[in-house]
Amino acid sequence: MYRSRFWSRALIYSLLALAVLIVLFPLVYMLGTAVKPNYQIVNLRASLWPSHFEWGNIVRAWDSAPFGRWSINTIIFSVGSTIGQIGSSLLAGYAFAMFDFPGKRVLFYILIAGLMVPFSTIIVPVVQILADLHWLNTYQGLIVPNIASALGAFLVRQFYLGMPYELGEAARIDGASEWKVFSRVYAPLATPIISAFAIISFLQNWNNFLFPLIVVNTTSMEVLSQGLSVFQDQFSTNYDLLMSAATLVITPILVVAVLAQRRIVEGITLGAIQ
Amino acid sequence: MVPSPPGARSGPLAHAGRAPTGRVRLIRPRTTNSRGRGVSRSRGVGRRPLALSYLFIAPAVLLTALFSVLPLGMLAWRSLFSGGVFATSLSYVGLQNYSDALSQGGTRALQVTAIYTIGFVVVTMGFGLAIALLLDVKLPGIRHLRAPFIIPLVVPSVATALIWGNLFAPDFGIVNRALSALGLPQADFTSSPSLAFLTVLTFGVWQFFGECVILYLAGLKTIPLDLLEAAGVDGAGPWRRFRYIRWPLLRRHTVLICVVTTLTGLQTFNQIFVLTNGGPNGATTTALFYIFNQGFVQFNTGLADAMGVILFGISLFITVVLVGYFGRGARRSV
Repeated sequence: MYRSRFWSRALIYSLLALAVLIVLFPLVYMLGTAVKPNYQIVNLRASLWPSHFEWGNIVRAWDSAPFGRWSINTIIFSVGSTIGQIGSSLLAGYAFAMFDFPGKRVLFYILIAGLMVPFSTIIVPVVQILADLHWLNTYQGLIVPNIASALGAFLVRQFYLGMPYELGEAARIDGASEWKVFSRVYAPLATPIISAFAIISFLQNWNNFLFPLIVVNTTSMEVLSQGLSVFQDQFSTNYDLLMSAATLVITPILVVAVLAQRRIVEGITLGAIQ
Repeated sequence: MVPSPPGARSGPLAHAGRAPTGRVRLIRPRTTNSRGRGVSRSRGVGRRPLALSYLFIAPAVLLTALFSVLPLGMLAWRSLFSGGVFATSLSYVGLQNYSDALSQGGTRALQVTAIYTIGFVVVTMGFGLAIALLLDVKLPGIRHLRAPFIIPLVVPSVATALIWGNLFAPDFGIVNRALSALGLPQADFTSSPSLAFLTVLTFGVWQFFGECVILYLAGLKTIPLDLLEAAGVDGAGPWRRFRYIRWPLLRRHTVLICVVTTLTGLQTFNQIFVLTNGGPNGATTTALFYIFNQGFVQFNTGLADAMGVILFGISLFITVVLVGYFGRGARRSV
């Protein structure tokens, strides 16, 4: 009895260890290759792990393309989009949950329609609209179409529907305006749900590739993912440089992922309820 | 004010774990006599700050209308016309774009999309469920093994696809080195259609099965422990506890995860762009890649729009059918 329990535990741990190994292996391989001298990569006899570390590879990768500029663009794009998504979702979700106004049902259906249209199916007309606005190759072209988040508004609305309306009454009796009631009483209560939503939105925006790819086509406006794909075309056989560049792009997000893992898990679970 | 039982939660994935640990509860348990959830249900006593209401909803609703609803209308309308992306003079061609799209590689793209999506859904969900079941076992230290599975989901997929390309590279790639070491012939993963397809698919699975792990794990946490313990006392082994308790109780989660994974699979783009660019010979050109290629590379906007309408129709159909099925299942299991 005791023995079979030991073996089943050992089996569970080793299966999980194997799965973790498969998940992490590509990243370990990337790090190993990034700091390896190129002659060791093309030598089939050489070991997979570098004999000595060529940290200069990473510096060389950084210097071979405008990674600094791309990082700034990515930060502006993803932070701007995320702040917009949080703000618009919080306001709309609150109003749909707490206020009554003519046309509420129709306006809510417009929002839900946004949830049902996968962005990838409408890439061509979106670019046509942005071209008409002269917003191609601009920050507003990258950020503004991303601001509305039907999912975010929907989540916030659900959250406030579960909140008692009477919570704001005390403040109202004291003469607080509706804006004050929202910003001082209700908005702070939404912090947990907003932070889980924010981290997921931020990561999605940061990793968004298709949208910047179709909106932006000058090197100085490109984001990191885009820049990396250009880099790949330029240095397709320089495996050490390619992996160094990938390391540059992955490492900051890896740090965020490790630090915020609990919120990310909450956000993933939250995001699936559509 | 009795908190409803776990099975009656309105969200498909209830957030509160079965053990109320110190974790933050995202959604408070709904009370049975709470206000109605209907859109038009009145809240508050005559509280109608009209101007403020419209001001609050304006950014979300207007931008959704401008960048989701309007483009959808334009897509449907312009799929009936021929003319370039920025063309001002369009000529009406009826359903010509649709038949052209289907005869010029579109049918193949839809087939590739279907095979890719089915393979992707089955494998990610299978792996996801298996790992989630292992992670749900109460063993010391197992909680910390959850974190690695979210990493492929959140790091930039263009970068990880680049690594993938390196792993499967001819000659120096580690997969080919392993094949050589085993005395097997090397495989060229970029020029063989089926191998290129497999490279793209395995990347998709590697990237996304963590999402299924997290979602299934959230589902497993809603299953009452005493139910499993009672079955254990009655002599049900792990397989029967899974088959007769966990699997039926996870049904709603399975359908929901299936919707999420299917929509993800249909929208696969990044690794195709990085790894194969739709090739070789269209073997990895999915419907979305077809839209991108026709719209922004070949500038056949009409064909791209027609395929956009088709892909939208498929996504909508899948969502409605599966969510309809899901709604039915949810009612039954309450």
